Amino acid sequence: MTAMIEVRDLNVIFGRGADRVHAVRDVSFAVPEGATFGLVGESGSGKSTVLRALSGLNPDWSGRLSVAGEALTRRRDKAFYKLAQMVFQDPYGSLHPRHTVDRILMEPLAIHGFADPDRRIERILEEVGLGPQFRFRYPHQLSGGQRQRVAIGRALILEPRILLLDEPTSALDVSVQAEVLNLLQRLKKERGLTYILVSHNLSVIAHMCDTLAVMNHGAVVEEMDVALLKRAEPKHPYTRQLMTASLGYDRSAIDRFEDFGIDAESSGVPDTSTDAPQLESERKRGP
Amino acid sequence: MSENPLLRVEDLKVNFPTRKGLVEAVRGISFSLGREKLGIVGESGSGKSMTGRSILRLVSAPGQVTARRLEFDGIDLMKASESQMRQIRGQRISMVMQDPKFSLNPVMRVGEQIAEAYRTHQNVSRDEAKRQALDMLSAVRIRDSERVYRAYPHEVSGGMGQRIMIAMMLIPDPDLLIADEPTSALDVTVQLQVLAILDDLVSQRGMGLIFISHDLSLVASFCDRVVIMYAGRVMEICDAKNLAAAQHPYTRGLLNCLPKIDGGGSDLPILRRDPAWLEHGA
Repeated sequence: MTAMIEVRDLNVIFGRGADRVHAVRDVSFAVPEGATFGLVGESGSGKSTVLRALSGLNPDWSGRLSVAGEALTRRRDKAFYKLAQMVFQDPYGSLHPRHTVDRILMEPLAIHGFADPDRRIERILEEVGLGPQFRFRYPHQLSGGQRQRVAIGRALILEPRILLLDEPTSALDVSVQAEVLNLLQRLKKERGLTYILVSHNLSVIAHMCDTLAVMNHGAVVEEMDVALLKRAEPKHPYTRQLMTASLGYDRSAIDRFEDFGIDAESSGVPDTSTDAPQLESERKRGP
Repeated sequence: MSENPLLRVEDLKVNFPTRKGLVEAVRGISFSLGREKLGIVGESGSGKSMTGRSILRLVSAPGQVTARRLEFDGIDLMKASESQMRQIRGQRISMVMQDPKFSLNPVMRVGEQIAEAYRTHQNVSRDEAKRQALDMLSAVRIRDSERVYRAYPHEVSGGMGQRIMIAMMLIPDPDLLIADEPTSALDVTVQLQVLAILDDLVSQRGMGLIFISHDLSLVASFCDRVVIMYAGRVMEICDAKNLAAAQHPYTRGLLNCLPKIDGGGSDLPILRRDPAWLEHGA
């Protein structure tokens, strides 16, 4: 098998009865080793939910998921977390506020019984562009960009082959975003990592990814090569609208915006206004 | 820009005394605003929000606001009494905050909150205020205005909440609207739809708009003029359509480090900060 990550007919349903939300609908894709796959969509589109099902944070899924040729179960063992790690959107929420950087980085090493933690912590700090002087600081003593570097370091210290990135730069200033994106590109090249990058920002996806899937209301509307996006040739009207919107303000284009709702076949699904906040809170729960 | 600007700001400073010394959030900035869309762009901590708040005199103690001139339509805002300010706030200058979740009263129906904003400044009956609030909800393109009028803030989506906030701020028909990151929590298509509402109001009512944002490309395409702020200072003020040709190294740095949809896959240029920017504004 050549695919590092394979997702087949993934469905995620939250709640039941009137509260039933079909958050992910028949999503399938495959990511070859060493590639970066982008999931792009608006809030409530289900892109983070796909990532959370893959990472084992959300056990309520059906379908087939496999990583490095192994089918994934609802519960994951330690070996899985050695293979795949996740970086979250909000570096203010995903680091323990009362733990030093040293302790944050030590914990995964202790859980997985790595030898020589001291040297590993020193090396990972170096690799994510933080010097040894950051080792005994608390998260509140770091800037947003530095925190995100710690979060990336915590994910990489187990030497995984896959990083699942959930909006890793959307809480950062653009100048810091550029630094973090460059860091992710460099680490990928050095370590031959496979990435899945979730973002609402088409430019970030275009910059980082080889292939991407556009999601709307839980379903993939279009999967394409990034070259197609760069040439501004997406096929689906939803993707084209997303693209127009991300190019900036254009008064005349806005009046032509359509509402790409869910098809009539899906019953009992509330509109995005009610399921978006739920996904938001899901995402913020942290590791 | 017109001969008689709506707002004139000269040498505005905002300071916060702390245990570790004085924090200078805004270090002497000047600009003026006509009946136009003025963007204030900067990264977090650049003082852009403090600038907006000090125009409405909303910087609370221990913050200290000083200015050589802070004049709105001939009124000296620095000298205005608290009761004069209450007349100005809402009715003449209003402000839309970033997050509707924290700006709406969670235990009051949104329609009543909008009607209350109207009744505070106009001596009208409840029925009349409700009618105006419903009209305003339609004006910000909320289709089902009767249903939304009765909804509580937690029952509406982020985009809807932001439109409700805008409706509430616009119902007293202000001359100047300060919008502090009004759309950054929204999806990109919804964001543009909300901006279109503001745009139409500026062109139809002749309102002045200060649009505070961290999104350089959005401001460039939406506003008439742009103020670029860094560390409490104005780096540059330029016409939005000429932003791509901006000269200041900070503006150039910010523009360059944005990933582009049609860009190459190589490393993004990193913004190098020049300590001299802290000393000299534009």
